[in-house]
Amino acid sequence: MVNAATKELKKHEKDQEWWWVAEKTRSKRLDYLRKAVWKKGAIGGAYNPGIKIDLERPILFTEAWKENDQDPMMLRKAKAIAHVLENISIFITDQAQLVGYIGSLPHTIQWYPEGASIVNEEVYNEPGTVPEPKEKSLKIMAEINDYWGGQTAIDKLGRVLNPEDLVKYMSGVIGWGVPTSAYGYAGKDYEYILTGKRGFEDIIEEIDGYMDEAEKRTSGEPGPDIFPLYDKMLNWEAMQIILEASINFAGRYARLARVISENFESNPKRKEELMRISETCEQVPAKPPRTLQESFQFDWFVQTLARFEAYEGSMPCRPDYYHGPYYDKDVNIDKRLTKEEALDLVGEFMIRTYEIGVFAPRWAREGLQGITGTWVWTMGGVNKDGSDACNDLTIAFMQAARLVRVSNPTFGFRWHPGVKDEVMRECFECIRHGLGYPSMRNDPILVENTVYWYGHPVEEARTWVHQACMSPCPTTKHGFQPMRMASATANTAKMVEYALSDGFDRVVQMQMGPKTGDPRKFKDFEELFQAWTAQMEWLMNILVRTVNLGRAKDPEFFGRPFLSAISERSVESGLDAVSPEGERGNCWVTFFTWVENADSLAAVKKLVFDEKKYTMDDLITALEADWEGHEEMRLDFVNNAPKWGNDDDYVDDIMVRCLKEVARHSHEIKCPSGNNWPALPENVSGNIHYASLVGALPNGRRLGDALYDGGVSPGPGLDKKGPSAVLKSCSKFDHIKDGRAFLLNQRLSPTQLSGEKGFKLWKSYMDTWADLGLDHVQFNMVDDTTLRAAQSDPEKYAEVIVRVAGYSAHFVDISRKTQDNIIQRTVVGL
Amino acid sequence: MTTCNECTNFFPLEDDPSTGDCVQRVVDPRQAYYKAKPVDEDTDASKCDQFQKK
Ligand code: SF4
Repeated sequence: MVNAATKELKKHEKDQEWWWVAEKTRSKRLDYLRKAVWKKGAIGGAYNPGIKIDLERPILFTEAWKENDQDPMMLRKAKAIAHVLENISIFITDQAQLVGYIGSLPHTIQWYPEGASIVNEEVYNEPGTVPEPKEKSLKIMAEINDYWGGQTAIDKLGRVLNPEDLVKYMSGVIGWGVPTSAYGYAGKDYEYILTGKRGFEDIIEEIDGYMDEAEKRTSGEPGPDIFPLYDKMLNWEAMQIILEASINFAGRYARLARVISENFESNPKRKEELMRISETCEQVPAKPPRTLQESFQFDWFVQTLARFEAYEGSMPCRPDYYHGPYYDKDVNIDKRLTKEEALDLVGEFMIRTYEIGVFAPRWAREGLQGITGTWVWTMGGVNKDGSDACNDLTIAFMQAARLVRVSNPTFGFRWHPGVKDEVMRECFECIRHGLGYPSMRNDPILVENTVYWYGHPVEEARTWVHQACMSPCPTTKHGFQPMRMASATANTAKMVEYALSDGFDRVVQMQMGPKTGDPRKFKDFEELFQAWTAQMEWLMNILVRTVNLGRAKDPEFFGRPFLSAISERSVESGLDAVSPEGERGNCWVTFFTWVENADSLAAVKKLVFDEKKYTMDDLITALEADWEGHEEMRLDFVNNAPKWGNDDDYVDDIMVRCLKEVARHSHEIKCPSGNNWPALPENVSGNIHYASLVGALPNGRRLGDALYDGGVSPGPGLDKKGPSAVLKSCSKFDHIKDGRAFLLNQRLSPTQLSGEKGFKLWKSYMDTWADLGLDHVQFNMVDDTTLRAAQSDPEKYAEVIVRVAGYSAHFVDISRKTQDNIIQRTVVGL
Repeated sequence: MTTCNECTNFFPLEDDPSTGDCVQRVVDPRQAYYKAKPVDEDTDASKCDQFQKK
């Protein structure tokens, strides 16, 4: 007989209420841990009630920083972080098996006062996040801000930047992010630290060897080659200090777990678990892991410790690949864990990540609504020899994702022709359950792209992880990228806007781009296109210049002893990991608000130059008036100009031409390692953030209207010819040579894709996608009814997740404007 | 002077009992946990509202 609970579960499944299904099928432990998380992602830009700034780290860090003012950057920083690790409060949540948090308490978000004074001001003024007692906290915060004023990484960079670049950059309309490691995306040399070959004690020993050699050399025959060794020895000392502090930090957890087990806990099972936590933290990260739990814990300490050093806005990692062998050993070979027990650990690994919170400035909260950072974990893909890398843990992660339903991390799945149906089905189930992830990535294309743009050897390219939302990066000694700065993120709608305004920004009322001529006098499309090209080059140049300088100066202005200590090339060279020396280069310029360029250029070409329905004077007058008083004309530009995504060569050719111009310029501009800067169109929720900063455009958009949802996705509701036409449009450019990667959002109907038939339909869509050589696609599969119901009853639908852009978020955590923008996206029938 | 050493929450280190951890149970609106903060045995406990005599 079917009992009531089973009946209820079946009903939820039938109604596709996957969040209830998850709650009713996950283990008690996962249910507790999932609900225990204090959500740190800002809701429509504001933090949840109860979320507080962590003051322990800023106080301890500043204390030690002041005390060691004679030391060079790396050493001073290592000592400051070591002081934090020795003294900050730690905690172990009931039922947890994995430990470690970047703040002192579960509801705290971390603050890095050494990063940027402008952010420090925001921390002080942010309502609601000042910890109690408020008056005392504000006094402490003011003292910290006073001390760091003028001394932060960004303050220092500001003093060396070209003043004109600085003013234009700080206007906030052309780029996004800050060019420092303090707020960067840091990859890791996982081939060095996560392959089970070494723990931190081994690295300390390796460094001893390098220091011994350097000491011998510096006390031997004099010569110019020994000068760098003096600085390097101090850097090595810094790395050893932080590695030792990290081992001791883990030791503090080991001790706390033991104290709880021996003095507080009465449940024998939990006592045993706590002793296992204790043994685990004695083992890792000091020594290499031996079990799945130790392997996850090792990785988790690495992620946590890196965030004691810097606000890492992304989490480039590949957990199924690096932890897979431990899963296999524990579950399949030694059978020391059942699949269910392993699933608890996998789910908790995701929950620990979801828990992370750092104070983000308002622009970042608006651009990344609902989440703390773009933590896209990489799954699947191939081994270094090209064979299928999917394993049992890949499947376990997909299953755990459906049980814990977190919006951060999300997954990007590296599809290749050898992926088994069983794994594809798991990916599909996650998408069908409305998670919005995994995004699907075309591995053969992206491996080739990685080799093409930077010359990474193919074996290294095959290790790639998502450096942030989208861009692949190897996890190897010379391939990993220690600092990718979100500030090489261009608000590219400005390219066409400035081409039509002689470089003048009507929103901030200043001359931004180069003077490319009075657009009223443009006689043909070529003149307009030349102006566009000049604006495009200028925009890429100014952002890349700023970011290159930030990168080159980062070891001097910020310093990353921990990241260096876990990177083979730094351990070997004695240089800061962020130093461009020894890195092959893997930079890209993120292109927000990109498709507006093609649609706008096509509209001008058709209605002004080809059909001569309007003059350039008519158009510029209408744009200057933000289309006000020109509604009929505006609708003509919306409805009667061709739009990207409909397999229409008229506009698609313009898109391809724009991309090829960008790709040409990408080879001309170089990163500090001397490598290229290809473009990567995608948006996070920048389309909403920039809505009030981009003026009227010829695609009919007015100032304030949401921009398109990004990448190479057609404008919402403008793809009228169905999904195949979208794919065909996107296949007209080269996904290897015309850019770094191209985000494509698609909305699918959950009703059409239910059951086995649904999987087959999706599979055949994916086959077409792969055959056409696209590099990315991601899906939303939540119907309008559910989304509208969630708008009117957010509490009931608190767990509905949607794909925003390169990331997912809980629907109720994003602004109304972003919610509407997602609903407007066309639901495609396959 | 009352010191941390006299408090039930104080757990001295095995290899250096002059210092240790203040371990407390906390139940917040979302979760229950144990937290630890390093303290010295001779830290003044007279103003600590969490002090519990051993
Ligand atoms: S509760 Fe107070 S008195 Fe007791 S150990 Fe902790 S800090 Fe010391």
